Amino acid sequence: MIHLTIRNLFARKFRLFLTSLAVVLGVGFMAGTFVLTDTLGSVFETLFSDTTKGVDAIVRAPEPFKSSSQRITSTRPPVPDSLVSQVQAVDSVRGAEGNMLGYALVQNKEGKAIQTRAPTFGTSWYREKKSINKSLVRIPEWKGQVSRQPNTATEVALDRATATEGNFRIGESVSISFLSVPPQTFTLVGVFEFGGSENGLAGATLAAFTPERAQVLLNRCPGAVGATECPVGAGQWDQIEVVGKAGSSEVAIRDSVRRELRSQGLNYEVITGQQLADEQVASVKKNLSFFNTFLLIFALVALFVGAFIIYNTFSITVAQRTRELGLMRALGASGGQVIGAVTFEALVIGVFSSVLGLLLGIGLVKPLEGLLSAFGLNLPSGPMQILPRTIIVALVAGVLVTLVSAIAPARRAARVAPIAALRDQSLPPSSGRRRYFWGALATLVGLGVMAYGLFGSQGTNAALLVGVSAAVIFLGVAMLSPLLARPAARILMAPSRKITGKLAAQNAARNPRRTASTASALMIGLALVTLIAIFGESAKQTFATAIDEQTKADFVISPKGFLPFSPEIASSIRSEFRTEFGSPGTVVQYRDAAIAVDGSATSAFGLSNDFQKTSNVEVKNFDRAKFAQGGILISNAVVGTNRCRAAAESKIPVPCRLGSFLPVRFPASGVEAIPVAGVFNDAKAIGYQGDYLISLANWSQRFTDAFDQFVIVLHPDGVSTAAAAKVVNRVAREFGGVKAQNKADFKDSQLAQFDQILGLMYVLLLFSVVIALIGIINALALSIYERTREIGLLRAVGMTRRQLRTVVRNEAVIVSVFGSLLGLVIGIGFGAAIVTALRDQGISFSLPLLQLVIFVVLAAIAGVGAGVLPARRAARLDVLKAISSQ
Amino acid sequence: MSLSSPAEVSTATYAARAEKASKIYGSGDAEVRALDEVDVEFERHRYSAIMGPSGSGKSTLLHCLAGLDRLTAGKIYLGDTEISSLSEKRLTLIRRDQIGFVFQAYNLIPTLTAKENIVLPLALAGNKPDQATFDRVVDTVGLRDRLGHKPNELSGGQQQRVAVARALVSQPEIIFADEPTGNLDSRAGSEILGFMRRAVDELGQTIVMVTHDPSAASYADRVVFLADGKITEELLNPTTDSVIDTMKRLGA
Repeated sequence: MIHLTIRNLFARKFRLFLTSLAVVLGVGFMAGTFVLTDTLGSVFETLFSDTTKGVDAIVRAPEPFKSSSQRITSTRPPVPDSLVSQVQAVDSVRGAEGNMLGYALVQNKEGKAIQTRAPTFGTSWYREKKSINKSLVRIPEWKGQVSRQPNTATEVALDRATATEGNFRIGESVSISFLSVPPQTFTLVGVFEFGGSENGLAGATLAAFTPERAQVLLNRCPGAVGATECPVGAGQWDQIEVVGKAGSSEVAIRDSVRRELRSQGLNYEVITGQQLADEQVASVKKNLSFFNTFLLIFALVALFVGAFIIYNTFSITVAQRTRELGLMRALGASGGQVIGAVTFEALVIGVFSSVLGLLLGIGLVKPLEGLLSAFGLNLPSGPMQILPRTIIVALVAGVLVTLVSAIAPARRAARVAPIAALRDQSLPPSSGRRRYFWGALATLVGLGVMAYGLFGSQGTNAALLVGVSAAVIFLGVAMLSPLLARPAARILMAPSRKITGKLAAQNAARNPRRTASTASALMIGLALVTLIAIFGESAKQTFATAIDEQTKADFVISPKGFLPFSPEIASSIRSEFRTEFGSPGTVVQYRDAAIAVDGSATSAFGLSNDFQKTSNVEVKNFDRAKFAQGGILISNAVVGTNRCRAAAESKIPVPCRLGSFLPVRFPASGVEAIPVAGVFNDAKAIGYQGDYLISLANWSQRFTDAFDQFVIVLHPDGVSTAAAAKVVNRVAREFGGVKAQNKADFKDSQLAQFDQILGLMYVLLLFSVVIALIGIINALALSIYERTREIGLLRAVGMTRRQLRTVVRNEAVIVSVFGSLLGLVIGIGFGAAIVTALRDQGISFSLPLLQLVIFVVLAAIAGVGAGVLPARRAARLDVLKAISSQ
Repeated sequence: MSLSSPAEVSTATYAARAEKASKIYGSGDAEVRALDEVDVEFERHRYSAIMGPSGSGKSTLLHCLAGLDRLTAGKIYLGDTEISSLSEKRLTLIRRDQIGFVFQAYNLIPTLTAKENIVLPLALAGNKPDQATFDRVVDTVGLRDRLGHKPNELSGGQQQRVAVARALVSQPEIIFADEPTGNLDSRAGSEILGFMRRAVDELGQTIVMVTHDPSAASYADRVVFLADGKITEELLNPTTDSVIDTMKRLGA
């Protein structure tokens, strides 16, 4: 039997190739995802162990509270310069120095920012002899000139990639912009490699200054505002790095520093260099695992679609081999042996395609990186990591999917009676009533679970429930879809009055189950594409409405990268307006803030007092004076909860309402009960979904950083927009790192970011669509093989090759349009459900009709494409041989 | 048998004609001459049969005459048209417009109804059937009450009647039938042969039929005998007995 199976497989290489391809692509996608994220993980691991090279211990301020996960910046305050000498004084310590990382954007010679999506950093670099941290490795020579570390306030060193990108030579001037001071020009004196490897920075850029200069440039010199170099004792550091005396372990050094600081009553956190590296790796790995999951979802969808193709192919081949199977039964093969034979065939295909898929996956890593970078996601590259886990998971997934998909066809094969050997027709399809029952049941259960997932549960569980229920619904609808195949074929070909249309429709309707399951594979891809289109369109429309209808703005200032920018920009615009036009106009600052209320971290938004002039946020009983003095606005949802106090000093919880005090923990100042100055319904207009809006007053005491997320500007009345634009653009240029746009441009650039993410998801779903199209090719090729004699007859009685090709292509179009319409309906349903579930987040449903029509048209065109190959094969059949074939 | 050259004959007389037609398979030792310089012609409005033992080349001759297969050497004329040198596409159109076919079995497209099968060649040409012709043909083969049925709802004899109707309805120059009764019992077989006879007598059709059944051949006006790729004998106004006699003589 085994021998026969293998012979069977290799007798039809084209089919074997197509069938395998369905699995190969899915497995390849999956393996590629693992290799990519493992490679990234190892790159970051090296990066972070490089960061702490030579460092035995770290001293830093304790985190006041764990900030909510979405925030990029830490709530950890800086440490004072004076701490360095205190740490240095500990017995076991040989050296201690402060270190920091801040925002610095290097411009190339044409004045354009050298920037990918990765962050752009500035840091301090100690003079050669003193330096503890060994992560910056100086290159001895750069383009034939000696490279050294910066020694004066006007000198800078750049990482190798940035120096290369900007085509800088030693001695040339480099313009760099910052968040809290205006852009400055430096002389390049050195080039370094981070961690000693060429691409050690994982795409980030790094500019290094002398420590005293860096403190000024990177906003770590509150004690001497306006100084060029921060005097000793006036500055701050992110952390202090410690190197111990020879012979003591990292742990021993850490413990002695910790003990000593504690004995002096200083509350600082002391950890080893290794702990810091581990901590950073863990946090990056967490982000990477999200990224990994994101890509894996698409890979799983591709495998799921592949499973349909395998199922379909096996169903068709079993049906075609009915006579042969009957003969085997007649000769004494048991049902179990027949199942064994079919399963073995699946096993061979599964192993074969999984191995190929694994190889494809490894080859796919580079294109995948290229794809992500084309969508603005530049990833660092490193030596490729192919872990045993990747190999095992890819092989197991591929083989399992193939085997599971072949179970039903194998069981059907075992039901072939010996008498079938003598009949000439293939198995008449069973009534399918059971199939429809199970299909309906699966659909209903899926819908129920999805409803629960969307409206009844929360978090990861909800996502998982929705994902699984979507798969169940797909299966259910796929089982039900044969009911629709016949009418769909007829309706789709109704516009064609020609015989070619009619024949195609009847061919498609001849075996509704086959047509339906081929179409179902495409349905999945299209449903998800539709879902994404709807979700994206709804989010975009919601955002656009918030901007169009809820926001008044002449200009919007936003960061070029991710990090927020200096509040000086807002002040500069006000003062320039005042100088030029005699009035400051309206300049509203918006600030993201981490606070903790009632013991749990949450995010708040800080707003200038006159925010209502630019953003339509309704506030009931707004006590403007209280707000301006540092008050807080709470959302409706908070009103009545027992989080408040009756008086600032009170300890007894009372229900929150206007006039009560809310105890808020701030990162810098600790807990402070602040007056409730009003109640808002929602803050959709500024894209904020939380419960707390706070005043900017007392900000610098309450928070460690004072950076704006965006600034909305209304120029003074009676001034031309063009004149105002000149001022705003000048300020933005002077500070660098930010862009000033008018309202329409701001909206467009934000929407373009949505489109980029949507585009990436479409491309990732393309995999599944391609697999589904391969399924169409495969099914058609098999059908044509089955209908050889009929095709011969058609050709004999005068069907031209062209007509025959048209018939086959029409069949492909029927399948693809049927599948995509099914997908469209399901996708619209899913989209509506999910958007409804997210109603609280301010998203409202909107249907991108034109886009959906385009999808169906594209699917039809792809169908024509899928039909080309089988059509050509059909047209090439020799008429005489075809007529006389069995 | 008159071995007349084309110049002496008015082309209108013959519906189909083979001239030094050779079909050779393989080469060297394995060479098989299925047709060996065959000269034969089939007159219009006549019912001709081709007979011969298995491997005599009778089917090959029919296929070549019908434009389904190509000669190795020689020429085939269909009416005035020399078809052996035509492109595949022109041949297809000639098959569609000028030739009718009845095969041994599996003559019909299973997804189409009897009526749709009958008008298939016309539909392929993008033409509507002439209602009068359609009615006459349907009545001739007695299928009026079966038009809406799919092939798998028809008996073997009924299926062959549909095939005959399909061959007739486009009023072709010539109909080729390849063992049309090979899969039928004798009653259904003689029914079909009767319809074909009537098509010649009443509708003025031209039919060329390959058969190995002497009683089927007896329906024809003329029987041509083939052996080893050559015409060996021909019989006018055959009877079953005369055909059997001739076969015996040739087989001996």
